Amino acid sequence: MTETTPLSAVSLTRGISASRQWRVLPMIEIAVLVIGLLLPLVLQDYLTVYATRVLILCLFALSFDLVWGHAGIMSFGQAVFFGSAGYGVALLARDLGITSMLLVLPAGVLIGFAFALLLGGFLLLGRHPASVIFVALGTLTGSYACDRLARGWYYLGGQNGIPSIPPMTIGSYELTEGPAYYYTAIGFLIVVYLLCRFLMRSQFGLALAGLRENEQRIAFFGYKVQHLKAIIFSLSGAIAGLAGSLYAFHEGFVWPNMLGVVISTQVVLYVLFGGSGTLIGAVIGTVVIEAVSFWLSNSYQDIWPIILGVLLLLVILFRPAGLVSLLLSERERVGSFGRPGKR
Amino acid sequence: MAVFEIASFGAIVVLVVLGLGIIASMMGIFNFAQGEFVLLGAYVTYIVHTAGLPVWLGMIAAPFVVGALGFVLERLIVRRFYAAPIVAMLGTYALGLIIREIVRGLIGGLYLSVPEPVGGSVTIGGMHFSTWRLVIIVITALVMAGSYLLLARTAFGLRIRASLENPALARASGISTNAIYGATFAFGAALAGLAGALIVPVFTLFADLGIRFLIQGFVAVMVGGIGSFAGPVAGAGLIGTLSAALPWVISPVIADVAVFVLAIIFIKFRPQGLVAGKGV
Repeated sequence: MTETTPLSAVSLTRGISASRQWRVLPMIEIAVLVIGLLLPLVLQDYLTVYATRVLILCLFALSFDLVWGHAGIMSFGQAVFFGSAGYGVALLARDLGITSMLLVLPAGVLIGFAFALLLGGFLLLGRHPASVIFVALGTLTGSYACDRLARGWYYLGGQNGIPSIPPMTIGSYELTEGPAYYYTAIGFLIVVYLLCRFLMRSQFGLALAGLRENEQRIAFFGYKVQHLKAIIFSLSGAIAGLAGSLYAFHEGFVWPNMLGVVISTQVVLYVLFGGSGTLIGAVIGTVVIEAVSFWLSNSYQDIWPIILGVLLLLVILFRPAGLVSLLLSERERVGSFGRPGKR
Repeated sequence: MAVFEIASFGAIVVLVVLGLGIIASMMGIFNFAQGEFVLLGAYVTYIVHTAGLPVWLGMIAAPFVVGALGFVLERLIVRRFYAAPIVAMLGTYALGLIIREIVRGLIGGLYLSVPEPVGGSVTIGGMHFSTWRLVIIVITALVMAGSYLLLARTAFGLRIRASLENPALARASGISTNAIYGATFAFGAALAGLAGALIVPVFTLFADLGIRFLIQGFVAVMVGGIGSFAGPVAGAGLIGTLSAALPWVISPVIADVAVFVLAIIFIKFRPQGLVAGKGV
């Protein structure tokens, strides 16, 4: 998707005062937020549970959008951080009896961060600059390897994973699935979304966007390209870790698929479908794919994956900027960076 | 005995990787649908078998059917991706997803088996060798030699190499790089189809058959080195041999993972692979 957002668009947007224009992006964001906040009031309980799962997956999709959409690192192994955090908090709950939200969520974030730092550090840093293909292959292999190891490791429950994790607790209150969990998840989603949005519109985000568009040029400007990449990769791992630990407690069990290639590619589909590099695109892609999947799953369970594949192919061929590009102009999709108005 | 097992598995990996390597080296795109071409080859063989025709007929038909499909897909879809390797990866992944799910829909979640066209075993020096595995090794050697001769010795191979090395100059010299790319992609797909057809008696037929070979194939191509003919073959031989040999020493799960991790570490420190350089 490199060719869809030329660097000139990035630099042009700077300085042009955006306030005079009618901006679509904040309106989409607010609309999504309002729908998200009101949804549990109209949904039946079992649908709220499903919607909570989708929200957590949105959080996971955000983590992929950070690395691919904003920094141009193709990570086919996001599930490693998602799943390892899920397993980590499941073990905390099972073996140590720790379920307090104040402990398990930071632990999950930390696990995701640490794994991402290890994998990203290995793949991205070093004397030879890593090619995109190598990173894609390395992360994919990492995901496959973790899946295999978890399946074969008796301590982690082997094929069956770890069942019946006790619910997460806040003080003495038990957070079980339903509206309460829904609002917890949406709270985290909003906070993380805002943090990412702030980060991506900062000077750091500008450097990352430059990295995505033309890595060599950014290197010539004197940025330490590999360090930038490793930083954003680890941050995205932390977010995936948060999503993974929320997911583990919501579902009540973890299983090897959470680490595997299937989930890793699933998140790629979400983001590409919605539109990478916009943050809100990741959320919309996840919600649309999961909603249609839920809707079709009763009657068309068998052909749904085929339809998904065809849709994805069509999006890649004809709408490389994703669903969001139907609503957003190119200029707004790329966005402006730093403090606007100062020339 | 162990040596024979290892050699036959190595041959299977070489066969699978050859098509992948040719597409990656000659065209510079990583075809994520290659595993599904293997699956299709296996499926064609199965269809012919259930129709009551002999299995070997299916094995002959498979490369042509898959090659033709590869040609059509290249004309319609893959050709749009040449400018952008990442998009090519994602696009071919989507293609692979579609093929895999269609096959899954056709066979259900079942594990189907196809008998070996040549059964029995050969006894050499008091040891029994499965005839079919011997046949696989021989065919792999023949296909490898044939592909090499095609690329290195024929006028067609010369055009392919010219289009690889300098597409603009090749076009200026009157070579239709478009047609060459189509033919190369079809050839790579046909090799995958043949691989699928030959291995289906050894592995059973199931929808996720291709995934296993996809990662293995890519790792092998990267270890061997992109851009040459010898690279992917050498990489495939190494990865195939290791994958088959290590389970004799350590537990299969650890072995499976260890091969990939070692390979990634190797690529990290030698990105150009075992065989550096371009050409045949």
